[in-house]
Amino acid sequence: MSLSSKKDLTAKIMRDKIYSLLLQDKRIDGRDPKSLRPVTIQTNLITKADGSALVAMGGTKILTGIKVEIGSPFPDRPDEGIFTVNAELLPLASTSFEPGPPDERGVELARVVDRSLREGGALDLKKLCLIEGEKVYAIFIDIYVLDYDGNYFDPALISALAALATTKIPRYEVVDGEIRKTDEFSTLEFAALPFTTMIGIIGEKFLVDPQIDEEKALDVSLIIGTDEKGNVISIQKNSPGPIPVNLLDTLLDVAIEKTDEIRKKFLQEVPAKLASERGGGVESRI
Amino acid sequence: MHSIRPRLINENGLRVDGRRPDELRPIKMEVGVLEKSDGSAYVEFGGTKVFAAVFGPREAHPKHLALPDRAILNCRYHMTSFSVEERKPLGMTRREIELSKVIREALETVAFLEEFPRASIDVYIEVIQADGGTRTAGLTAASLALADASIPMADLIAAVAVGKVDGQLVLDLCDLEDKYGEADMPVAMAPRFNSVVLLQLNGKFSPSEFKKGLTLAQKGIAEIYRLQQETLKKKFSASRPMEV
Amino acid sequence: MPIYFSEHEVVLPGQLLSDNGKRSGEGTYSVEGKVYAARIGFATVKGDKIHVIPLKGVYKPMPGDRVIGVVSDVKPNGFEVNLGKHLTGIIRIPDKEQVQNMRLKVGDAVYVKVKSSGLGGVLLERDEQIKKFESGLLVQINPIKIPRLIGRRGSMILMVKKLTGCDIVIGKNGLIVINGPSPKNEFAAMKAIQMIEEEAHTSGLTERVEKMIREIISS
Repeated sequence: MSLSSKKDLTAKIMRDKIYSLLLQDKRIDGRDPKSLRPVTIQTNLITKADGSALVAMGGTKILTGIKVEIGSPFPDRPDEGIFTVNAELLPLASTSFEPGPPDERGVELARVVDRSLREGGALDLKKLCLIEGEKVYAIFIDIYVLDYDGNYFDPALISALAALATTKIPRYEVVDGEIRKTDEFSTLEFAALPFTTMIGIIGEKFLVDPQIDEEKALDVSLIIGTDEKGNVISIQKNSPGPIPVNLLDTLLDVAIEKTDEIRKKFLQEVPAKLASERGGGVESRI
Repeated sequence: MHSIRPRLINENGLRVDGRRPDELRPIKMEVGVLEKSDGSAYVEFGGTKVFAAVFGPREAHPKHLALPDRAILNCRYHMTSFSVEERKPLGMTRREIELSKVIREALETVAFLEEFPRASIDVYIEVIQADGGTRTAGLTAASLALADASIPMADLIAAVAVGKVDGQLVLDLCDLEDKYGEADMPVAMAPRFNSVVLLQLNGKFSPSEFKKGLTLAQKGIAEIYRLQQETLKKKFSASRPMEV
Repeated sequence: MPIYFSEHEVVLPGQLLSDNGKRSGEGTYSVEGKVYAARIGFATVKGDKIHVIPLKGVYKPMPGDRVIGVVSDVKPNGFEVNLGKHLTGIIRIPDKEQVQNMRLKVGDAVYVKVKSSGLGGVLLERDEQIKKFESGLLVQINPIKIPRLIGRRGSMILMVKKLTGCDIVIGKNGLIVINGPSPKNEFAAMKAIQMIEEEAHTSGLTERVEKMIREIISS
């Protein structure tokens, strides 16, 4: 069951201000409607995790850790590895997050990241299979929001991908139908690099990557994921407001442009390997 | 994993990570690291890495939890799933619930909660990597975060564990020593008045080992307390009284 | 009678300030005849007491304070007003019709006066004491820094108003409403206020604020 949520109390004059600024292509923090906040990426800070990344997008900070285990494949996909995404909106991050099991916002965040990775084809899951129908790699992607200053969607996916890019996967030998762990490690190779852009809408105007005051003032928002080829790979409409249908074409173009910008930044900072023609998966570094 | 118990003290009397028995791990402290909280801190003891954030004093909600004569203190000690060797399942474990309680009680010993009737003060500790001594690092961080939030209190709290490994008393146990050692005793103090505010023991000590252990803990706590004071003073070193 | 601090040094919780327990003032406590700091801040002697003036803190409502809030509930007998950081004030109006006539809605930003504050919560003055903002940029700073924002005899805020041409209304609870001739001027005023909050405890602040405002306005 999902209930109408108690929206964070917002002063109407702030919503009006943010809207009137947008009419002049301006924003309260001095950005223009189409500019993102600065992104910083720090990797490998959790050595107990198999991969990790701390990403800041403006004042929003997200920590993602990866654990690689051995599991069983899904019966309908016996030759594919599996991955699971979890997200927690930690009470440290904001007065609007409560301690306790993930509420619907946390679950939504996890699923939007999951969908973007899965439908974006970031990983070639076939390469994560050890013994068909029996043993596959199971990758746990756990996302924690540490500081919340608006838009946790985009930095969450960036941190998940940065953590995956630096993940060390223990190599196994298959001997007589049994797997045996070796001392060697491999790294993941991406089959595609999907990113998302959150676009907020007020009236008929829009802005990208809302900070917290803007996010509270939005009528509605749209999180659009695209891959490096310009395909749209995930969409999530967020919060109960209408989107003018004639705006959607523009928003799609904006999302493609902005995710390209994020991807460029990501590739500058993270040693990610992107398989351009062949499918990605586990590749030996040794 | 490590099925064979490793040797914890070598022939030179040094520990698995090369420390002397009475030596702390490298410690890092920082305050004001999370923008959206009223006070925050980040603390590292070797591989143990912890964030703490404080919200409040603010109106207690739900309102029926409010106390007429003082603030309530909420405390949550929590570990990320990837902070430990084997992925921790989501949600609070019994261990986390217990540690939240003993940490809260330690903080309640020093905080002047009666200054804020009907309010709540929320303390959140997030362990992002666990390498032994997470409750003591968490409490050390929480006390810094409370100070940063300007919550009135009698003293800072500094905490460290002492233990016994291969028959030897050691200060500030790392994960391996905790796992394979004979005893682990986390101690937290308000050093100004020599008050113990958290004390637990897991393992076996003779009465004389206990006494020596406590002295060893006090030695570590004095150093941690000094680092806390230095961290806070440094953060505000450029500050002067407001010109008004 | 010795004291153990300099007025220019930040003191920490637990720090010994004086050997005379009778001198314990705000932000301090006494144990066994000695005075210690209870908070981070600057210790200062006022009369025969030692006080610690904190660097951060919550707003403590006092009768007569002018505060800014956002209407969070409309009830038959009045309004609830959010005063920031989870502090709620109540406007009690016995007459149901009068409540309706005031036309206040949830989300309206208002300038109100504190009537009383105690165990019953924060009561706000009603009627002519309530001013509703029709527009503006709402900014929040730590209420402890409000005196610095105002400055000596209002010097700081007057300068910000003059240089930016903005109308700036300050609530003692830390909420501020800015209305200016252009987005750039409002942005300059907001940046100035944020700078004053962050650098309240540094010297030469007035000059730096002035320089920054001029740079933004002329850009």
